[in-house]
Amino acid sequence: MSNWLAELTAVFVKDLRAEFRTKVSLNAVGLFALTTLAAVSYTIGPYRIAEADRPFLLGALLWIVIFFASMAGLDRSFVKEEETHTAALLRLAAHPLVVWAGKLLFNLVLLIVLMAILVPLYCVLMGYRVESPWWFLAVLATGGYTLAVTTTMVAAIIARAMSRGALFSVLSLPLLLPLLIFVIQGTTAASQGEVDGVLSTLRAVISLGGIMTVLSVFLFPVVWND
Amino acid sequence: MRLNDALKWGLLVWMAVVIWAAFQWAPSAVGFQGESARIVFFHVPTAWVATLAFLVSCVASILYLWRRDPMNDVRAASSAALGLLFALLATVTGSIFARIMWGSYWNWDPRETSITFLLLIYAAYFALRAAVADPERRATLAAVYAILAFVTVPFLVFVVPRIWWSLHPDTIINKQGTIKMDSRMFQVLMGSLIGFTGLFVWLYTIECRIERIRQRRQQELL
Repeated sequence: MSNWLAELTAVFVKDLRAEFRTKVSLNAVGLFALTTLAAVSYTIGPYRIAEADRPFLLGALLWIVIFFASMAGLDRSFVKEEETHTAALLRLAAHPLVVWAGKLLFNLVLLIVLMAILVPLYCVLMGYRVESPWWFLAVLATGGYTLAVTTTMVAAIIARAMSRGALFSVLSLPLLLPLLIFVIQGTTAASQGEVDGVLSTLRAVISLGGIMTVLSVFLFPVVWND
Repeated sequence: MRLNDALKWGLLVWMAVVIWAAFQWAPSAVGFQGESARIVFFHVPTAWVATLAFLVSCVASILYLWRRDPMNDVRAASSAALGLLFALLATVTGSIFARIMWGSYWNWDPRETSITFLLLIYAAYFALRAAVADPERRATLAAVYAILAFVTVPFLVFVVPRIWWSLHPDTIINKQGTIKMDSRMFQVLMGSLIGFTGLFVWLYTIECRIERIRQRRQQELL
């Protein structure tokens, strides 16, 4: 077990170190998010939306920014291995599940960094008031995890195909559509302080994330070793 | 071969009777604009076949990953191609009904959302297949994607409509678990479901044969 943990950390640290060398994913995700946020804030701003529509529209816009920003960079973890021809070595060096967990952890950290910068900025720029901040954080955390676990698997698939960049969003969005609907509902409920609404969407998001995790554990070795 | 011919002619007669019965034998439904409710006899079976095709595709994908028999990849791809066709038919028939009953062709009702989602998945599945040149890798990656996509379907079909408000008439098996339908309408609908399923099976066997020839030719070219 400790051996696995050591391997996992090694894969994760390797990715982190490579990322800090070039900062490709971080720049892509971060700049995409900031540009969309600037566009949304400039064209819509805090006062253009009627008071009654605010919780729903602001929740929906927030998630759309997060989703499209993650489409810009979450595929790098695997695509990079194929582009630099290091995948074969990684295949020899580590167990498939360890590679999967390490990449997932890396994507999770990337998403956490993105959210930590984006969400406070969004709240300030758009005048977004949240009644239940803890439930709001719970929706962000579970939604972020499910987003990361799904995109990690899709990234592993597209890394083995041609025209990867376009394919990543084409394959991810249909899988993420139910999640998008759930988290938008959950965020809306959390910003209005409706705990029942948050709980029902949290159940859906957690079960979706759980199923995706279990499937990934079974299917990732198939994709990776192919 | 003779049994196959008999089945094909039987299907022709069966479908002809279903079409006749849908317009002549089934009574008019109460509470709908004009005779618009009759579209149910064609809309529900196409939606059912689209889902069934997806299920077949998923099962074939699992079998492919398990046994690595290229024929299972052919089955999965053929079934997905038919699923795309029937999902389009279900969308068009549903949209016509929506225009007559609710005044607009499209309003992002949860049912409309879930069929769009099915269409998107099928489209993504074929986009993935087109992007991988090596046949074995194409089969593996497409199979993995089909399985991943399949598990998200129940969330859209069953969970989203519970959370989101819907205009769609109650589905045949509603929340109370009872069937609220005139018995003659129910018979026609069941007949139509059987007929469309038969049609799917026939098309599926043809499509499998075509797909196998296509893949063989591609390999010869390579």
